Amino acid sequence: MNSRIRRLAVGLMACFVILFVQLNFLQVGQSEELQTDTRNTRQIVRDFNRFRGPILSADGQILAFSQPIEGDDFDYQRTYPLGPLFANVTGYYSFNFGATQIEKTKNDVLAGRTTEQQLGGITDILDPDAQTAGQVVLTLRNDLQAAARDLLGGREGSIVALDPRTGAVLAMYSEPTFDPNQVAVHNSTEAGNALEFLNALPGKPLLANAYQERYMPGSTFKMVTTAVALDEGVVNLETFWPDEKEYLPPLTTDPIENYGGSTCGGDMATVFKRSCNTPFARIAVELGPERMVNGAERFLLNQAVPFDLPRVASSNFGAVDDFVDATPLLAIRGFGQNEVAITPLQMALISGSIANGGKMMRPYVVDSTLDSKGSVLSRTEPSVISTTMSPATSAIMTDLMVGVVNEGTAQCCMQLASGIQAAAKTGTAQLNSKDEPERSHAWITAFAPADAPEIVVAVMLKGVNDEISAGTGGKLAGPLARQFLDAYFS
Amino acid sequence: MSASSPIAAARRNHELGLVLMVAVITGCAYILAALGRDANVPANLGPFLGVIVLLIVGAHVATRILAKGADAVLLPLAALLNGIGFVMLARLDAKRLAGLQATWTLIGVAAYVLTLLVVRRANDLGRYQWTFFIIGAGLLVMPFVPGVGQNFNGARIWVSIGPINFQPGEFAKIALALFFAGYLTEHRELISAGTWRVGPFNLPEPRHLLPLVLPWSISVLVMIGQKDLGSSLLFFTLFVIMLWVATEKASFLAIGTVLFVGGAYFAWRSFAHVQDRVNIWLDPWSRYEGKGYQIVQASFALGSGELGGTGLGLGTPGKIPEAKNDFIFAAIGEELGLFGATAILLAFVLIIGAGFRTALRADRPFEKLLAVGLTTIIGVQSFIIIAGVIRVLPLTGVTLPFVSYGGSSLVANYVLLALLMRVSDSSARRLGEVPDVPGWAEMRAAKRYARATFRTESEDTVVASTMERGRRRHGDPAAPSDAWVEDIGAPEPFPGNRRVAAASDATTRFDTPQIPPDLVDDTVSIWDADAVTGPIVPPPPARPSSAVPPDEPDTVADLPATPPPPPPPRGPRAPNHRPDDEEDWR
Repeated sequence: MNSRIRRLAVGLMACFVILFVQLNFLQVGQSEELQTDTRNTRQIVRDFNRFRGPILSADGQILAFSQPIEGDDFDYQRTYPLGPLFANVTGYYSFNFGATQIEKTKNDVLAGRTTEQQLGGITDILDPDAQTAGQVVLTLRNDLQAAARDLLGGREGSIVALDPRTGAVLAMYSEPTFDPNQVAVHNSTEAGNALEFLNALPGKPLLANAYQERYMPGSTFKMVTTAVALDEGVVNLETFWPDEKEYLPPLTTDPIENYGGSTCGGDMATVFKRSCNTPFARIAVELGPERMVNGAERFLLNQAVPFDLPRVASSNFGAVDDFVDATPLLAIRGFGQNEVAITPLQMALISGSIANGGKMMRPYVVDSTLDSKGSVLSRTEPSVISTTMSPATSAIMTDLMVGVVNEGTAQCCMQLASGIQAAAKTGTAQLNSKDEPERSHAWITAFAPADAPEIVVAVMLKGVNDEISAGTGGKLAGPLARQFLDAYFS
Repeated sequence: MSASSPIAAARRNHELGLVLMVAVITGCAYILAALGRDANVPANLGPFLGVIVLLIVGAHVATRILAKGADAVLLPLAALLNGIGFVMLARLDAKRLAGLQATWTLIGVAAYVLTLLVVRRANDLGRYQWTFFIIGAGLLVMPFVPGVGQNFNGARIWVSIGPINFQPGEFAKIALALFFAGYLTEHRELISAGTWRVGPFNLPEPRHLLPLVLPWSISVLVMIGQKDLGSSLLFFTLFVIMLWVATEKASFLAIGTVLFVGGAYFAWRSFAHVQDRVNIWLDPWSRYEGKGYQIVQASFALGSGELGGTGLGLGTPGKIPEAKNDFIFAAIGEELGLFGATAILLAFVLIIGAGFRTALRADRPFEKLLAVGLTTIIGVQSFIIIAGVIRVLPLTGVTLPFVSYGGSSLVANYVLLALLMRVSDSSARRLGEVPDVPGWAEMRAAKRYARATFRTESEDTVVASTMERGRRRHGDPAAPSDAWVEDIGAPEPFPGNRRVAAASDATTRFDTPQIPPDLVDDTVSIWDADAVTGPIVPPPPARPSSAVPPDEPDTVADLPATPPPPPPPRGPRAPNHRPDDEEDWR
């Protein structure tokens, strides 16, 4: 029997070896996957009972912090002292509904779970009060963000401002927005009701207009068409378009008209500052599908711009194939109508690349992450994501946009109080077809000072009613951009 | 009891050291769990630690008195598992479970001591095999008795008598292990002979086979009637393994596997809950919202534990349904990590190792088989449930021995542990590592016997001479008896020359000159009831009272120096002759 008993012992040991292997697989091999599974709330429960680091604005304002509370399921309540102001950047940190935006992307730092933080925490192993939770410092400034909110004054739309030299976002406010405090409450019913209510609202407050939704750019898109055409040598400053009321592209019987059916023409500077439609339709047709699409893609159209916030909407111009045997489509899209769609953030990046000598910088909102003691864990290094045009072209473009401010569609409203010269391009994106009531998005993008730009702003007012079409992009959005730049320079 | 041996003392002192370490570990874990949960040292810490030390040291002291030669690691390992399980339960539900589990531990330890008290010779249990069968079968059908059986969580495995609720299956497995051990000891040769030829197979005679079909029926009954897959699997595995070990026929392993596969397939085809279990096992993730929730949560818990665990009191094992029961291993894995979970695995591996070592050391088939059976129960049960929790096998709900919450389970496992300790102790006595002095009950029986047989002799003389012999053999290391000890202690082919030793043993026991030679064989039948019913064992050839077998040097000095006769011949044995029962008088 002894030999059988030995064999049995070996057999049972083998069974336990299998258990040990599987245990390793679960607790080490698959551990990461199991912990990050959205259905696994263990980590969150632990995190909710621990201090979580604050999110700060560039000027030191606390945007989110963990408040110790008593008599609750958890020891801390995530609190957003400024309410809705930074909601679309910080996001919310909810027990039942997860985290969004910075609260999600920088979760490891805020919870103190990056490798550096944990290694740093080892020395504190004997200190029960030690916490490793890090801090996130944003590039956004509280004063500019508040200015953006006040300027929009509740109107649906968005203001995005960034430093064209680095891509650092200085302000990014979208209306409508929401109060993250309502979602961050621990009571799941309350938080659930708040989310349900927000989701049901037509303006989609949970989605940031500034980068999670895209809009028809209208005439602001002429910056792209012009820059591509200048780079390709299809046009230059001497190119002249005779006055015309409408232009009939090949293969169609439906002519393209200028804004409001007006007659428009002249040299490059004139048609740009007056924002004629037909010259740019002609330019697009002359460029042809391939050069136009490739040029647009240098401005990162047809994709989502890389950003350090999640779920960026991807912009659209159209693929080369879309325009083969569809010249009228190319013509219309050449001045930003039809299915061209772009986020306000990308609009700021496009004009920012003009301001920055043709270099489009990668946009970012996180300036740096700090550990619990305030030393820097990481700092965002500016990087070029695309070369959109030659420096010479960017200089010409700047001149054209200065023309818009001084004599063109933005003449009304872009004279800065400080006397600093701004450069701008307006847009009025017509949303209705011919027989419907008028409805347009109003756009303006501007940068200043024109000779050494340090800020670029894009303002978009959503076409929810006929207010915008009654005016134009310049008249409506222009004052907002001016006041915003005034606030920046004051 | 006064006599002691260095080996026994060393074992018990090792055990004491380990047991104290377990108390320290449990106490520290308890404090850590409380600190982790609400950053306070528990108010009841003093009493709690006192109770732990009392219980654990109490069990040790009982072992020191009642089974001094038993294995040194079994009790500490069980106590460790019990302690960690308790800490986990106290951490999961401090208000209710902790107190209940503490009470059950107390009862468990009491059952342990009681078992050691009642069962003084493991081999004695063999003669009650059919009693154990009836008890085991009775316990198994108990849940079906109307008014007594209770349905709980879809399984009918509970019995409720008055205020007491328990799971009879937990005790049935021990009774059945005892039965299998006894039955197979008697019939293993017949079963393995295989004289009934069916096609290419040599099968045992149907009448010998019949009692073997019973266990299989038991498994099926448990599976179908009680929907208790885990216990069913456990019974069946236990039976097949014991049959294989007893008969040394691999064909039984093959037949068992075929029967198992057939049964499993049948169960899978016929029962929705079996299909559920298999489907959940194959893919719990897509069933997260329903039946897969528990197993997915267990995986989450283990994954969140990583290497070092979240720390006691710092995880959220409460999210796993039934964390206190079947899934306690996942809770441990979460809070103590891979290291802690591996420690639990190792504890079971060591228990299994110690159990099989006990089986290897045991020299009687019954004790061997019993040790194998009991170890198999612990090993297979812990494997089944851990494998279910970590998705190596489909989940079949059984408790994790010593760790899970549950009175029946804990008490039954302590009884099981006591039996294993008893087997280990019996072997140590027979190997001469510990003085083998008769217990109180045996002394009484001896007196009674003496009263009946030696009317001319004072009872006290018999008893005194018996005790004197024990003392002589073990008390004085310098005595020539040591040589004898080594002689017997040396490995010998089993069952081989046991009869010689047995016979000589019986001879020396009653200091030969005073006792008629025919007594030698009568002692056998007195102490072994089965021997009376079986064919009469041919007695060892009568020896002159002055004759001494050559392997008994300790008596040489006392006797006239006549040349020893040759050892008794080893004649062919009767088919169901059990040589091991002859020397029970020790």
